[in-house]
Amino acid sequence: MRVQKSKWSRRSFMKATAAGVATGMVGGFSRRASADEGLRSVGLGVSEINEIQGKATKDLGFPVAGQALGYGEMLSKILNQNDQYEIAEGYYHDLTFYQPAKVLQPLDTKKIKDWDKVTNLCKTGKLTPESSVGQGQAPYTMMWCDENGTRVQKESQYVIMVPAFHNADSMGYNPKATKRPIESWSELLNKDWKGKVGLLNVPSIGVMDCAMAVEALGLKKFANKGNMTKAEIDYMIEYLIPLKKAGHFRAFWENFGQSVNLMVNGEVVLESMWSPAVAAIQAEGVPCNYAFPKEGMRGWHGGLSVSAKVKGKQLDQAYEYINWWLAGWPAAFVARQGYYHSIPDNAKKYLEPEEWDYWYDGKAAAKDLPDPFGTITIKKGESRSGGSYWNRYSKIAVWNSNMDENDYLTKRWTEFLNS
Amino acid sequence: MRTTTSPSAGLNSLTPRRFSTLANVSTPPAFQAGGVFVYDWRVTTVENYAKLTDTATPRGLLGAAPVAPTEVDAKRKYRREPGFPVPILIAPATLWLTVFLFLPLFSIFIFSFWKATGHGMTPAFTFENYRAFFASEGFFDPSKSDFLTPSIFIRTLWSTFRFTLTVMGICLILAYPLAYFLSMQVENFKWQLALFLFVMVPFWTSYLIRAVAWLPMLGRQGLINEFLVTIGAIDEPLSFFLYSEFSYIMALVQLYVVLAVGPIFFSLAKIDRTLLEAARDMGATPFQIFREIIMPLSLPGVAIGMIFIFVMLMGEFATAVVVYGGKTSTTGTVILSYYSTANYPFAAVNAFMLMVAMMIGVVFILRLVDIRKEL
Amino acid sequence: MARSTPESRRRRRVKAGFSVYYVIFFIFVYGPMFAMFTLSFQGPRGGVTFPMRGLSFFWWEKLAGPSAVGNLKASMVRSLILAVIVMVITALFSTMLAMAFRKRFRGSATLFYAVMSGLMVPGTLLSLGLATLLRQVGIPPNWWSSGLAVHVVWTLPFGFLVMMAVFNRFDARLEEAARDMGADEWTVFKEITLPLILPGIVAAGLFGFTLSYDEFARTTLLSGALNTLPLDINASLTQRVQPTLFALGTASTIFSLLMIGIFIVIYTILYRRSH
Repeated sequence: MRVQKSKWSRRSFMKATAAGVATGMVGGFSRRASADEGLRSVGLGVSEINEIQGKATKDLGFPVAGQALGYGEMLSKILNQNDQYEIAEGYYHDLTFYQPAKVLQPLDTKKIKDWDKVTNLCKTGKLTPESSVGQGQAPYTMMWCDENGTRVQKESQYVIMVPAFHNADSMGYNPKATKRPIESWSELLNKDWKGKVGLLNVPSIGVMDCAMAVEALGLKKFANKGNMTKAEIDYMIEYLIPLKKAGHFRAFWENFGQSVNLMVNGEVVLESMWSPAVAAIQAEGVPCNYAFPKEGMRGWHGGLSVSAKVKGKQLDQAYEYINWWLAGWPAAFVARQGYYHSIPDNAKKYLEPEEWDYWYDGKAAAKDLPDPFGTITIKKGESRSGGSYWNRYSKIAVWNSNMDENDYLTKRWTEFLNS
Repeated sequence: MRTTTSPSAGLNSLTPRRFSTLANVSTPPAFQAGGVFVYDWRVTTVENYAKLTDTATPRGLLGAAPVAPTEVDAKRKYRREPGFPVPILIAPATLWLTVFLFLPLFSIFIFSFWKATGHGMTPAFTFENYRAFFASEGFFDPSKSDFLTPSIFIRTLWSTFRFTLTVMGICLILAYPLAYFLSMQVENFKWQLALFLFVMVPFWTSYLIRAVAWLPMLGRQGLINEFLVTIGAIDEPLSFFLYSEFSYIMALVQLYVVLAVGPIFFSLAKIDRTLLEAARDMGATPFQIFREIIMPLSLPGVAIGMIFIFVMLMGEFATAVVVYGGKTSTTGTVILSYYSTANYPFAAVNAFMLMVAMMIGVVFILRLVDIRKEL
Repeated sequence: MARSTPESRRRRRVKAGFSVYYVIFFIFVYGPMFAMFTLSFQGPRGGVTFPMRGLSFFWWEKLAGPSAVGNLKASMVRSLILAVIVMVITALFSTMLAMAFRKRFRGSATLFYAVMSGLMVPGTLLSLGLATLLRQVGIPPNWWSSGLAVHVVWTLPFGFLVMMAVFNRFDARLEEAARDMGADEWTVFKEITLPLILPGIVAAGLFGFTLSYDEFARTTLLSGALNTLPLDINASLTQRVQPTLFALGTASTIFSLLMIGIFIVIYTILYRRSH
């Protein structure tokens, strides 16, 4: 392991520091020569990673600068400042905001080389013909548009966002503490874990996770968990307030780092979680399993869009960047963090066979596997819960969504938090 | 705040009620000069004061050693106002604020009357957003059981306010003795400054990092719990240290207390030591000295510290997530959640209500203490 | 040495009591700093909480090397530069404003609350408001332009209030005397006023520096394509939180302590020279 040999040497440290300061000085000031050369990309730390944009710059021959932001900042920037980026690496359910605001431009699928290879999960919502279609804002309901960028509900030549990375979320748990496998969303509200449960503090997603639990408990059936009515929201909040008052929830988390800390610090034994957190938690020596609930997972999908302001040469470059993303190198990169790619076959080209078997095929790791930065996070013999990619995605219960009653939900959620 | 033609209106006329009769505008300048020595048991003659200040006085942090009043004072008010012309002094800042604060503020104000579209906003003139802020569904509807309960947004603003007062109180109680120690007990100015800056240092680390740094202290596996378990005080780690009101208050106090220490320290350091000596010589007890001289003279610092902390806490939105596990909502977090679902008009309404609440608080603080008092 | 009278004994006791309080206070504000400091030497397999899994400089080296998300060093340089500019402007503006406020002038109450409102306006919305305006007139936001603009709006009230405290009960007679001796306004300011208020100006500037360096919400839509440090730290939280963050915190604490040391040394030298 690389890290083991990292013995302290004063000299190497000084050297590294000096180099660091120097690059800092240069980096602090350096700007791209002009706004119409190269690309600026905004997104989350999920895809805005220096190595990815660095590699793109090298492969494509023009500069690609990534700007990683927090979720709220990203959304606000994409929505309000489409002259400040060329590429937006956003999420399908947020097209609720971006699309009517016309900040992104329709992309011609004919210019996207591997379009035919993109899985049907994005195009029709069914990964395999037998798969069920999840509720809520599945990518295929959000993606298609006409040449003016207006959303259409059927396959078309134009899309507003090219699918790239995605995942299915559920709950993470500490098997040592729960002493039994977690197999249903209902466990989220199970009183056994009172005071040791974490929940995602994004109203629309938090309430969906809890709705999944309520449904699993057989208390209520929701017509569409991805788009609840006011009455359904009321029901959920009224159900959750007594639970919160009784101290059921240990914490509500807002970013990836927090969710990892909660489990690592032993604050929670069970929490709604994004699946790459599992590897991060295990990397700190804390046992963590990812639940594969029988009700199905909650899916989300991210992709690449181009600002409506981009045209000419820069637009060509934007297409080049998108094609490069789909071609596989970044796919392999994000796969090592646990994310999936919309063209698995292309990811396969850049993954070692053992990596492919582990990340996509759901097999036990044949050897120790590294994360994208080279630290070993997966020990030989471990395997992903939920099995293979195709198994996971054949059962998406609901997709991350922004509901019609979003404002009402935010209001009631405030009440829930304040109770 | 409307412009008032009388310059003494607003913040100028704000003198602590107790002292208003003693130190108000009608007192002749010579007697205002000491500020303090208009109080009952003290020396009130210019001669005595001159004697006191004859001895070399240490230079305070912010002020000069007091100088005995002279006849100049008497002439002063008949002269043209000295100093640089006001327009030149205020022009740059006013211009800056107009462009970078008032124009945006005005546009936010306009936004608050626009209509939210679900993906942003569209120009309109509607009071709907304000109605949604004030009236909860079923409010004043006698058929509802909770018909007198104010809307959740008002309740949130109210709980934010209440909580702010609590934390502000704690901050002041902690900060005052510290500032007192630094300014009154530490004699050497260099040490005053050094000790003051030492407690300032944590303030220079990003608050995102500082808030995260509480976790290894307070958590179930944190240092405090480990310690208590090791010494056998408890068998099981206690969970209320973290993600509780306790941790929230702790963290907020640690984050903001320095804001109060600074101004109080400054105003205490300005107090002329000879004044205290004189009072002592005349047989005032330490408590009397504190109540009659030190406390009133430090009030401006207290007021400024209060304003800093009050405003910071009212606008607080980031700390709760980290150390309280997001288990509460403040008006700051409400603004943020509407902002992040692109309902800008409603976020703007909340912002304005928050600003109004802050403004009331600041005006109230300034009503108690005049921070613009002259000699 | 003073004789041991009951009075001096009492004073010593009081002083001792306050010293103990200072130490307790010190421990309180440094408590999390201590945890941060220790954990920055966490072993390579360790995380941001106890227990320590070994002892190493791994995370310090990581901090010195390139970051995975964002660029902590570059954004730190940006934030430092920005903070220094903000510091200068804050010190300048707040001194000028407070000097104006020594006099009575029309609209002073309005101006006072106008400055204060920079303290009160929620940052996210201010950044949205200004970003919208900039877009309308076609000026691109940048950390050193629009970012600077809102930072000063935010820090000015702090500096201003500090300067108000400085001028509170400020003794104008020295200035008067100088004027009587025929000095012009500029000389009076340079020779009399400035030396008296200089520590206050430094304090106002320091407030500006600190608040700008830490400012997050206002900067979101106004920093352009390059992040300031708080934005970068926030973005890095979308990845796993690593002790690198604590190494950064420790580094900035040590840096601050160094700066204070240098400041005190310079101050001592200047003080000696002027006496």
